Amino acid sequence: MTSRALAWRTAAAEPARAALAIAGVAVIGALLFDMLMLSQGLLVSFREMLDTSGYDVRVVASDVFPARVDLTNASEVAADIARLPEVRQVTIVRTDRAVVLVPGRAPTDVALLNLSPGAERQGWRIVDGADLGALGPQESAAPAVISRQLSRALGLSPGSPLPLRALASGAASALPIVGFTVVGIADFQFENDGPYVLATTFEAFQRARASVSSDTADVILVASRPSIDASATVAAIAGRRRDVHAFSNEQIVERFNENGFAYFRQISFVLSTITLGFAFLLVATLLTVAVNQRLGQVAALRALGVSRRRIASTLVWESALLVGTGGLLSLPLGWILALGLDRILRDMPNIPDALHFFVFEPRLALWHLALLAATGLAAAVYPVWVATRLPIAATLRFETVS
Amino acid sequence: MTPIVEGRGLTRTFPMPSGAVTALRDVSFQMAPAEYIAITGPSGCGKSTLLHLLGCVDAPTSGSLLFEGRDVARLSESDRSRIRLTRVGFVFQRFFLLPMLDAWENVELPQAEMGAGLAARRARTRELLDYVGLADRARHRPSQLSGGEMQRVAIARALANRPALLLADEPTGELDEDTGEQIADLFDRVHADGTAIVVVTHNPVLARRAKRHLVMKRGALGADR
Repeated sequence: MTSRALAWRTAAAEPARAALAIAGVAVIGALLFDMLMLSQGLLVSFREMLDTSGYDVRVVASDVFPARVDLTNASEVAADIARLPEVRQVTIVRTDRAVVLVPGRAPTDVALLNLSPGAERQGWRIVDGADLGALGPQESAAPAVISRQLSRALGLSPGSPLPLRALASGAASALPIVGFTVVGIADFQFENDGPYVLATTFEAFQRARASVSSDTADVILVASRPSIDASATVAAIAGRRRDVHAFSNEQIVERFNENGFAYFRQISFVLSTITLGFAFLLVATLLTVAVNQRLGQVAALRALGVSRRRIASTLVWESALLVGTGGLLSLPLGWILALGLDRILRDMPNIPDALHFFVFEPRLALWHLALLAATGLAAAVYPVWVATRLPIAATLRFETVS
Repeated sequence: MTPIVEGRGLTRTFPMPSGAVTALRDVSFQMAPAEYIAITGPSGCGKSTLLHLLGCVDAPTSGSLLFEGRDVARLSESDRSRIRLTRVGFVFQRFFLLPMLDAWENVELPQAEMGAGLAARRARTRELLDYVGLADRARHRPSQLSGGEMQRVAIARALANRPALLLADEPTGELDEDTGEQIADLFDRVHADGTAIVVVTHNPVLARRAKRHLVMKRGALGADR
């Protein structure tokens, strides 16, 4: 009989103990799996979100990202960057705060968004109606594409009038109400639980702001040519324009990793360590108790010439069996738990819909199983030491007398 | 002829919080192959301690022990374990069968440890269970066997690798008189088949079956009876 078979028979002989250990490891393992997903989830999700927009470089006015300073002369900067041989496409992104004043409804805060013409398809996807070019030049109302959420909240549909007042800092009440018309309803890529999103043309955007600001932008999005690495584009922009700062998606993710997401990483590290500690204590305790219950058997086996190696490998297999089964069960359990936790965390304000806290990656599952395997091995060390180093004669004497 | 086991001035002292306790005092002992010895004496006189030394599961504090001419003190733990596996069989008062294995598997276990092939193991296990009269209980677990049956399985397990020396520590201590007599009969057969036996017992019936009877008192070995 092999050590593995002996371990299996030992575990099966005490189903309650085995079930307790497996259930404990499954629950603890599920938490560990979730912590591993949390440690990388935001980064992976954020990177995916940036990458799927189709732009690999972002240009802002300051050396921090996201920038809190408007980029001036945006059109000129964008045109200059567009002339670089590394660059395929440039898009100016402008946002401002505004309030929608639909009669019979409470004033509703919105984020007024404007992208360079032609970039709309990368910012939103029309689900009803038409895109911004739908209104002819003779139309007096400004076109607006609104989010589904805004459409639902205010009962708006394509063709609905939409009075709007932009909110400029310190001059909010002075700005006039501008008449917009809803031309389409869309899913916006970066929409979150913050203000509803409303996109419009540059002309309408300027009209809403009543020339309070000049040609400014929050960010300029740059797409490199297919054969060009984003870092080369960043270097080219830095060489051409000293007054702006360019960041590749990789650099932005790294900055968020160092700053904004560091809390989650630290929390997940601490909780992962604690859960591994619990798994270690659970398995080590159960195995140690089990070994102590059968010291007489172990001593008898040693007296019959069964080697220390066989005793040790049987216990390691028993640990592997309990931790392995619990570990496998922990994957679906952790996944279900992660879905619930992700939903709770994404309910926080200002979290974009496309952003997730818990993201599954195959390598995380492998890490999870490797960590549990290492824990199982470590948990077997003390019981193995007890079983293989016990004094045979003294144990037989004690077990017989007791 | 080389003695199967020979002790020279064996002393075994156990350190205790209240002071060292000497369980065995300067015991010299020699046993020829295929001999059958019973050791009796009052509780705590050192019988089991001597048995453990003879079976290489314990080491003397002083003195030397030769097993088939080899000084046990010079052997590594794995060599001593190998001797126990191949040359010694143990029978315990409380059987110590593995409860999760059935009778067949308990008897097969030492053979598997020695590396015997499947066919050889099957043949030997069948032979041994038949030998101890439990062929029909092969697939019963220890919890499904009586005390006498468990001890017979334990004897079959001890004989699995054809040991030269069978050591039994109070093998009838947990059994009634009739069952104890069955076990004594079984030891007679084992001895008749050429295996040396040392049995430590309080059971006078079992002791009388031995060809040589040693009495121990306060850690010392008395003259042969």
